[in-house]
Amino acid sequence: MIEDRAAVGPEPSDPEPEQQEAQRPPGPARYRWYVLAAVVVALFALPLFRPMISSYNYVLTLGALILMWVAMSSSWNILGGFAGYISLGHSVFMGVGGYVAGVLLYYHGISPFLTAPLGGLAAVALGFLAGFITLRTRGPAFIISTIALLFMFLLMTDNFEYLGGAAGLPLPALPLSQEWLRVPFYYAMLLIALGAIWTAYRVAHSKFGMGLRAIAEDEVKAEVAGVPTRLYKISAFAISAFWVGVAGAIYGYSIAFVRPTVFFTIAISAQMVLMAIIGGKGTVAGPVVGAVLIYAINELSLVAFGATEFNIVIQGTMLVAVLLFFPLGIVGTLRKMNRLPAFLNWD
Amino acid sequence: MPILEITDVSAGYGSGPDILRGLSLEVEEAKSYCIIGPNGAGKSTLFKVIAGLLHPRTGNVVFRGESLARRRPDQVLATGVCFVPQDQALFPEMSVRENLIMGAYLVKDRSLVKERLARVYEMFPILSERAGQDAGKLSGGQQQMLAMGRALMIDPILLMLDEPTLGLAPQIAQQIFSQVEQLKSMGLTVVIIEQNAQRGLELADWGVVLDLGIVRFEGPSEGILEDPRIRELYLGKAASTGETR
Amino acid sequence: MTNVIQVAILGLLLGGVYALMAAGLTLAFGVMRIVNLAHAAFIIASAYISFFAFEKLGIDPLLSVVFVMPIMFLFGVAVYQVLFRRIEGSKRFGEMTVLLTFGIAIMVEGLLGFAFTGIYRKAAPGYANESFIVDGLFLPQGDILFIPKGQFYASLLSIVLLVALWAFLRYSQTGYAIRATTQNRAAAEIVGVNVRRVSAISFGLSTALAGASGALMSYLFPFFPFRHWQWVAVLLALVVLGGMGSMKGAVIGALVLGVASSFVVDQIGPTWGPMTFYLALFLILLIRPQGLFGKEAPA
Repeated sequence: MIEDRAAVGPEPSDPEPEQQEAQRPPGPARYRWYVLAAVVVALFALPLFRPMISSYNYVLTLGALILMWVAMSSSWNILGGFAGYISLGHSVFMGVGGYVAGVLLYYHGISPFLTAPLGGLAAVALGFLAGFITLRTRGPAFIISTIALLFMFLLMTDNFEYLGGAAGLPLPALPLSQEWLRVPFYYAMLLIALGAIWTAYRVAHSKFGMGLRAIAEDEVKAEVAGVPTRLYKISAFAISAFWVGVAGAIYGYSIAFVRPTVFFTIAISAQMVLMAIIGGKGTVAGPVVGAVLIYAINELSLVAFGATEFNIVIQGTMLVAVLLFFPLGIVGTLRKMNRLPAFLNWD
Repeated sequence: MPILEITDVSAGYGSGPDILRGLSLEVEEAKSYCIIGPNGAGKSTLFKVIAGLLHPRTGNVVFRGESLARRRPDQVLATGVCFVPQDQALFPEMSVRENLIMGAYLVKDRSLVKERLARVYEMFPILSERAGQDAGKLSGGQQQMLAMGRALMIDPILLMLDEPTLGLAPQIAQQIFSQVEQLKSMGLTVVIIEQNAQRGLELADWGVVLDLGIVRFEGPSEGILEDPRIRELYLGKAASTGETR
Repeated sequence: MTNVIQVAILGLLLGGVYALMAAGLTLAFGVMRIVNLAHAAFIIASAYISFFAFEKLGIDPLLSVVFVMPIMFLFGVAVYQVLFRRIEGSKRFGEMTVLLTFGIAIMVEGLLGFAFTGIYRKAAPGYANESFIVDGLFLPQGDILFIPKGQFYASLLSIVLLVALWAFLRYSQTGYAIRATTQNRAAAEIVGVNVRRVSAISFGLSTALAGASGALMSYLFPFFPFRHWQWVAVLLALVVLGGMGSMKGAVIGALVLGVASSFVVDQIGPTWGPMTFYLALFLILLIRPQGLFGKEAPA
């Protein structure tokens, strides 16, 4: 018997919502990829339209930052969303990446564009080590230990001469004229964001990802069902550290210094968590949607109110409101209602 | 005139399916009932609904003319309906004595609490011996006695026991059964869930067979074991495990 | 030798205050399984009340507990009723409480920053910079010990409040209900405890303790809105160390680590003081994940 979908035949130009009502919308699959490909192409092409963009550097800086947050909250989601282990200290990996690349540049003059992957690997190594210890507990105790990890690194970098102490290390600027300076950072963050999304996608669609979801659902049952829970959890921790570390390496270079309070503050971790939860934790597209949305709200409230304090209040309120009223986040809620646009259904 | 009337009750957990599906049952004063049925029949759920721990989705529970369906557990308890769950639900780090006193949490009159404490100690001498020990350190049988003793502290009219002999050695279980017998003779209305159907039905005046959330059969308890259909349908397994215990 | 005694005394005085701060946190976890990441934010908010009561009205910070505690009690009950009752019985309650209180902490931090800016504050009652001086006794000739008055009074008040809390939990009817709910929530329900009422009261008590801690913080430690993260990290380390939900564990953990960090500060330097808490936390996770006085893995 031929499936309904095949019988109807491909109708890429038909984005009718009724089409998506189907249980797990097979939808117009091709149309989904068209949209995504168009978005990616547009993102790659953006810097080429220099004459058409009035505040070019601002737009690229903004773009790079949004992409960075996309990468970081997508990575956080692998541990926090898929496996259900909430880390509130994930910016520690950003700092490790930033410092590794920063030190290599400051002392040895090697460009962070080359060493960023090393920063990511250092973050992975820390993820393994920290996971080995902190994942002996679960639930609240685990969350608490991630906060402690963050503060340990803040203290250590604050007091470590080689790393410049609390003042940090100033980094030489990229030898480019001011007008082109933001372009390489933009492309680097774009690649990082795509890499992070790809990683999250691959994890979500693997046996490993299934195992993580089982752990989130019921760890004891997962264990009984033969999921090597400890190995999986530690691996998830390590994998979720990688792109955060790479992003940190590029970010430090882009602001031309590394400093403890830039990375090792809970506010940065809080952002990742907020973005993933508002977007929909445990979904691949959720953190992406959340990052774009939260960053936009941040920028707008900064313009509107100026004060960062107000910004903080808004963030806290949003987190509380989403948890109470839409615990599944935007993507999760839409999917439950069968209203999720096909081009955002990546699970 | 029944003291407890359950009419058309359906109930389930969270957003899950109905476990009880329109169940009706009447319980008469000073009689004893044994509820039997396969796993998942809804026996424990029925007790939770009566005790106010789970609110029914539809239907009503009326105890001595008062509706219990929308009440909190403490309000249900205040009417004289007491529930001893399967896991006994003790306070592991409180002493035996403190556990018993907690049983009379709703009783404001201190002298009354003392009086009942003495009565429980009389009925379960072992609890008096272990009065100062933490409940968590008692043996299984002693924990069951403590749970029953604690229930008596409220001086209930209706007592629900959920598998009181689960996991106990045969002679300890025997002891528990004889204590239930004693409660019956004190005029208490006792409803008991018992895996060991044979033994449970011997104890009770009335047998109730639950399956898939409704009462499939009820009648004088002796009759039930003779009824070949019931035997085959519901007691086949339970009865045979009963023999081997 | 005298120096060792001096450092130990300072550590114990500090530990006494930490114990009060951690007691509230562990109470909320014990009774309701709420991990309150906003606990330190509540402490800082209370510190502002005491600070301004002192600055504007001349009310002694130690005395201000008389009104800060009731205010924070009511606040806690309100927070419980509005936020936590909604998520009671949700499948991932523990995780939800962490995220929810995380959001609350961010909100409180932002509101405090909005209202009072980010500058350092510290109340300066007369005794804050005075010390008792002890000499003679068993000390070698010429040696003296300093006991800072402010810290001494703070520890004294902490001890009084902790003993009062203990007596309340041990002997009062509501105290019985709170302990019963801590040990077995289902069982408490069965014997007729109104667990929701008990939970609201416990959370109120927990925030009232945060209130008292804030009154002490107002003159002991300089504070500003963002500071609460550092404090909550230290307090949570203490609570995990002691075994989550164990009051005894929290108090002993606070005293031991108060002394330990005091020695670290004396030997290595003041910036490394908090490190003691974090290292202790990781060490305990390695050796005994359930904490010193915890019974099972905290779930």
